[in-house]
Amino acid sequence: MGRYLIRRLIQAIPVLLGATFLIYLLTFAMPGADPIQLLAGEKKADPLVAAMLREKYHLDDPFLLQYWNYITGVFQGDFGETLSGRKVLDMITEAFPYTMNLAIVAFVIEAIVGVVAGIMAALRRGKFIDQLVLISTLLVISIPVFVTGFVLQLTLGVKLKNEWGIDFFSPSFNEADGFRAYLLPAFVLASTSLAYVARLTRTSLMETMRADYVRTATAKGLPRRRVVVNHGLRNAMIPIVTFLGADLGGLMGGAVITERIFNIHGVGGLLAKSVYLKEGAVVVGGVTLLVLVYLIANLIVDLLYAVLDPRIRYA
Amino acid sequence: MRGATSAKWVAGAVVVAMAATACSTSKDSDSAGKSGGNITVVLGEPQHGLVGQNTAESEGAEVLHALFTGLVDYDNKTNEPKLAVAEAIDTTDSKTWTIKLKDGYTFHNGEKVDAQSFVRAWNWGANQDNAAEGLPFFDKIEGSEELAPGKDKKPTATELKGLKVVDEKTFTVTLKAPFSQFKTMLGYNAFYPLPKAFEADPKKFGEAPIGNGAFQMDGAWDHNKQIKVKRYDKYPAEGRAKLEGVTFKIYDNLDTAYNDLRADNIQIVDKLPVSALATVSQEFGDRYIYKPESGVGYLGLPLATNPEAFGKIEIRKAISMAIDRDAITKTIFNGTRKPADDFINPIIPGYRKGALGEVGTYNPTKAKELWTQAGGVPGNKIELGYNADGGHKEWIEAVANQLKANLGVDVTAKPYAKFGDMLDDLQAKKYKGAFRMAWSMDYPAAENYLRPIFSKVAIETGSNYGGYVNEEFETTMAEADKATDPAEGLKLYQKADDIVIKDLPYIPVFTYMSSSAYSKSVKNVEIDAQGRMDLAKVELN
Repeated sequence: MGRYLIRRLIQAIPVLLGATFLIYLLTFAMPGADPIQLLAGEKKADPLVAAMLREKYHLDDPFLLQYWNYITGVFQGDFGETLSGRKVLDMITEAFPYTMNLAIVAFVIEAIVGVVAGIMAALRRGKFIDQLVLISTLLVISIPVFVTGFVLQLTLGVKLKNEWGIDFFSPSFNEADGFRAYLLPAFVLASTSLAYVARLTRTSLMETMRADYVRTATAKGLPRRRVVVNHGLRNAMIPIVTFLGADLGGLMGGAVITERIFNIHGVGGLLAKSVYLKEGAVVVGGVTLLVLVYLIANLIVDLLYAVLDPRIRYA
Repeated sequence: MRGATSAKWVAGAVVVAMAATACSTSKDSDSAGKSGGNITVVLGEPQHGLVGQNTAESEGAEVLHALFTGLVDYDNKTNEPKLAVAEAIDTTDSKTWTIKLKDGYTFHNGEKVDAQSFVRAWNWGANQDNAAEGLPFFDKIEGSEELAPGKDKKPTATELKGLKVVDEKTFTVTLKAPFSQFKTMLGYNAFYPLPKAFEADPKKFGEAPIGNGAFQMDGAWDHNKQIKVKRYDKYPAEGRAKLEGVTFKIYDNLDTAYNDLRADNIQIVDKLPVSALATVSQEFGDRYIYKPESGVGYLGLPLATNPEAFGKIEIRKAISMAIDRDAITKTIFNGTRKPADDFINPIIPGYRKGALGEVGTYNPTKAKELWTQAGGVPGNKIELGYNADGGHKEWIEAVANQLKANLGVDVTAKPYAKFGDMLDDLQAKKYKGAFRMAWSMDYPAAENYLRPIFSKVAIETGSNYGGYVNEEFETTMAEADKATDPAEGLKLYQKADDIVIKDLPYIPVFTYMSSSAYSKSVKNVEIDAQGRMDLAKVELN
């Protein structure tokens, strides 16, 4: 187990290095305008000022030299500077906590609500609760996130306060509100995945509940609770854990829309803006961080397999 | 039918509930205005450190406007310059200017605003080693070439020869050539003063600038979250802020800001999102401010790179007269733009209503006549380039359709991902079609709508992407610059405007309107021509 873990961690190094190189290459090779002009917006950047900035940020160096300067900087703990003079590391460490908190709250909502709804539907197959879960999840899946987001923002954020006098949710994220501020955006972010988790749990549990060992367990006279939780659910969890693990990475990087709707200045928005402005250093830093999150989430999922299924052993 | 009836019931219940809550909230808005209090207003993250000399974008300018006061300020209504920190700005030849400062202005750290604080700021901005975005604004001052000799060269001086401190309250500025609009230009943020503390660490200064304005920083800039400012109590009494403090809350998305405004979580949004425009006047009533803004939208023509197509004046006139400006501003922009009828924006002193005359009036028959007379364009094809990221698609396509219908020419709209991409192609002379273009002023002078876009020097350093050159225009501008009487100068700029109208290097299509709204908890909200809030005047209800 320990050796397996170390091997996996060592394997992650070339993946990360390769990711930085590829992403740097991609932002460098992105077609289109000069980043200095992008900063100047719709007025032409003064040629002299632009030339001085190009020199300052080594924008005229060949790609490999730029990458080399970047990566040697990274190994010395210097993640570079944006063209407007901010430290990339500062920007990422500012944005990351919001994204992480949002992702965690969303993840908890999706895992708990999704799995519970799925179990209830699976155990009462064809009954009202099953129909309710199926129809409501279908609805959630078919509505795009930005629609859910704007509708909830308007109804819970504006109408609730103006028309009912209940000032609980805010249309935009307020840090001062603490945990409450994350609830609405996290729910919006979690909604689609939540629906998938519920449906996945339902199918997977229904399948295992038909398995021979479950029938044996019931025949042995085990209480229903133990049959469902220890025999049914445990075996049904493998595809769900796989989905949840992959989704955690998705929640981190894919929160761009939710972050934008609720004005959360997280990693997603930062990356989107930096891609637009061709701020290579920020894109590489941010994406590498997301790659790292993916790698760790994957590792945890793999380790969880062994916990869930005793037949899987890592040496 | 049962479904329909119950839906009515629900709707009825909602109306009752809304009426009930409307009664309960109306009572807290009738108290008299009072001094003090805090409000929150919208802002986008400024691009970089808050230093006037290095700020050329609107978000940074918004905060700087609260933190700094320049030599002159502009009237929110007429846009005429009025003296602010300056007591007098005098000249006899428009070349040497003597600037006297008022007493009573101090920086937020207590330091006096003296002549040196302006000279210090301008010297810094003019030095190419600092790569400040405001650098081109100093190139009219004598000696600027020593501080900005060009790429791969080192500055040979650190002080502008043209700036001389006479005494603590007086300094003189010598320009390379007379420039009658110099005083008007001085309200731009590149000309704000800087305290001694700036020199120690310009970068750190930009995070928490020490200004001389009605508001001072309340803590440092909290990136991507907020910038807090509070009233500066030692500011001269007549301009002192009424509010205790203002928080600029940073938004990436104006739709969210607008929803926050509706819930009164923030009090002023000075740039409303497009989605709000349809309903805002109903919802906000007289708290919705809708006024002309400084921008002008054009259709640019590549005169230098494609004279075969656009070289003939008849062709340019025909294109201009084939565009139905009324239809575009009404149907596509819902009245948030106005048809352009001069190259000079309507809010600027010197604008003449209907100056474009015949060429600015929709006349498809005459257009077609001129077009056929001139023999059309080679291949009977025109391209219209635009950047797809700024909401220009609709109007460019409308123009394309109008040209197609009225001139019988084959028109294709050509999208570029970003504005910069289009500029690159124009500069590399790779693109030979017409293109969308816009200009908004740096300072409210007629001159600022002509020189940066149509002068010879602007081909290199400005926005003359069409490559328009007219010697008569150049000499008229130079004459206008030399004028010592402002009225005389203005007349000459209008003469230069007439030359541009005659030549029609760009086709003005519309001018912009700005739309803002504020919540019922504030009053006295004014927005200036640059779209900035006049926060010192705002009061709580």
